[in-house]
Amino acid sequence: MLDLDQTIEIIQDCKHVPEADVEELCTKAIELLIDEANIQQVDTPVTICGDIHGQLHDLLTLFKTGGKCPDTRYLFLGDFVDRGFYSLESFLLLLALKVRYPDRITLIRGNHESRQITTVYGFYDECIRKYGSVNVWRHCCEVFDYLSLGAVVGGKGGVFCIHGGLSPDIETINQIRVLDRKQEVPHEGGMCDLLWSDPEDVPGWAISPRGAGYLFGKNEVDKFLQLNDISLIARAHQLVMEGYKEMFDQGLVTVWSAPNYCYRCGNLASVLTIDDDLSRNYKVFEAATQDVTSIPSKKPALDYFI
Amino acid sequence: MISPLQRHDKLVRATDLDALSCRFNANQRGYFIPPDKYIPEMIRSYQKHLPFCQGYTNLSVNRTLRAAFQEPKLPLINRGTYFRTKSIDIVLDDFISQHENKCQIVSLGSGSDTRAFRTLEKYPDSGVIYHEIDFPESTKIKRAAIVNNSEIMKLIKSGDLIENVAVSSREEFESLKSDFHTSVYHLYGLDLRKLTSSSVEFPHVDPTLPTIIISECVLCYLTPEENVQILSYWTDMFTSSCPTATMAFLIYEPMSLNDSFGKTMVKNLSGRGITLPTFEKFPDLDSRKQFYTGFGFNNANVTDLSVIGGYEKEGQSWITKEEFNRISSLELVDEVEEIKLLLRHYCLIFTGIGQNIRNVNLFNKDG
Repeated sequence: MLDLDQTIEIIQDCKHVPEADVEELCTKAIELLIDEANIQQVDTPVTICGDIHGQLHDLLTLFKTGGKCPDTRYLFLGDFVDRGFYSLESFLLLLALKVRYPDRITLIRGNHESRQITTVYGFYDECIRKYGSVNVWRHCCEVFDYLSLGAVVGGKGGVFCIHGGLSPDIETINQIRVLDRKQEVPHEGGMCDLLWSDPEDVPGWAISPRGAGYLFGKNEVDKFLQLNDISLIARAHQLVMEGYKEMFDQGLVTVWSAPNYCYRCGNLASVLTIDDDLSRNYKVFEAATQDVTSIPSKKPALDYFI
Repeated sequence: MISPLQRHDKLVRATDLDALSCRFNANQRGYFIPPDKYIPEMIRSYQKHLPFCQGYTNLSVNRTLRAAFQEPKLPLINRGTYFRTKSIDIVLDDFISQHENKCQIVSLGSGSDTRAFRTLEKYPDSGVIYHEIDFPESTKIKRAAIVNNSEIMKLIKSGDLIENVAVSSREEFESLKSDFHTSVYHLYGLDLRKLTSSSVEFPHVDPTLPTIIISECVLCYLTPEENVQILSYWTDMFTSSCPTATMAFLIYEPMSLNDSFGKTMVKNLSGRGITLPTFEKFPDLDSRKQFYTGFGFNNANVTDLSVIGGYEKEGQSWITKEEFNRISSLELVDEVEEIKLLLRHYCLIFTGIGQNIRNVNLFNKDG
């Protein structure tokens, strides 16, 4: 039997988790996630976190900044894996906390929680490197398919939380509730857009330079807020140098939680706490390690043009 | 054991492997049209000769080459490699056509770059003459690649008699020829820092011909004093023999913008033993423009790679809509803010002396 508290400690120390334990953890997580709705209802107060991208040391800093789980209730907006050196450990830590404290932590899906994207952006290679086979990656990808698509924090006038943004195919949150989410992230359509779209100063909808999802403007956000009786869209998905950025008369916020993204970008990170009165409190934090050479890793990346 | 200076030079030379591995990856991915068919020959020569280069062992060579050519690059690196290669090609084509195919190209620290062969292939039997200069160790590797490939030999008008260079010791590598001269192509093995007025001569460089000198991430590894020395060397050579000479410099390199990305870059590169002495001294486009005009060049056309890629204003892009869509479809870029941030820290500068340097339209698109 898996000793969750011990597993959490092992992961926090960045030590190897046996393959059998990964499998058991994933199975347990799926048992929980299968019963969750596409849109999870989350009570206040809650601390909302953006992209993590395998930066385990910074995830530990995040918990120091926002408070320990379960003392603080957390909502993570996806993109746990890829890019950083410790995607597996970061994802497993969040899963272990989810299985240990199911009501104190909510995980929703980001565009990187996908088979296709993880084969390009590092998580697949990391699993192969650490375990010598694809099994661990496969177990994790199966969990990805069960992650919720979004969350609503608070009741009327509350906060709609999603990884990317809006979709021209989706006007109401109820429409998301009836999607069949248990699949690989599709290349187009509502589910894809929710995980891929970005806000931008455009009149309506525009083509996204990412090649998936759309750009959406203030009008679309205003319409969505009114129609769904919410006050804010909280999303992640885009690097913000200052850690967070409010747009469209505070109708939307981007929360970014990977400081010094890819050990290269030099940016700050933040988490957003929504209180019982729906007030917003941002906490900004810096990278645990200031440069790529201080990250204990076999593969110091140097992604510059030199 | 090698001295600290030798170690530093080795690390700078090793940046050529990075650049080659970037071009290799982008080429594999289909970014370049037509595909660059000269890259594999450069890689083969590296594989054969790197074990005999200073500061390498068999073990470190295997590790280095595996990292360079077996690990895939991120889509954003491939895209940046494409923009860098493409934008320099565009300025070069513009220069060549402006001078009706009668001109010289001088590539400083060219390493394993294949632009010479791509250019000579594109302008066969024209008046285009290509010169490449780099450390002797680098030009030996390049020369061995050239003489091993009949296609390249034909391109550079050296007949098609290939020569199989076989090296089995450091001494043998040391004794390889580092220079190569034909009617359209010249390779010189020498340390750029030794270019001081009068000490070194280039009898094959014709100062009356319009000339464009390329520095693609090369001058950035030298001190500000060495930069001035090299600029002066070429400027003096041209102005002293021809008062109406056209001599352009095309410079691509990183700049700090004095922001946290730049500061992180300094730390990360210094972790690999690489310093960029002009990175913070000339942190942005304005300071670089001032430096080159202050040096006495007619004008300095400056822009950054984010502008060139159309990430700032679509209308300023150097890449057509169709071409941008083509490269966008090759790989999904997961983070646009990140690519913008990275590309903003790389400048492209076109400056020099002569009539045609004044204002180049490409650099001044309104968007």
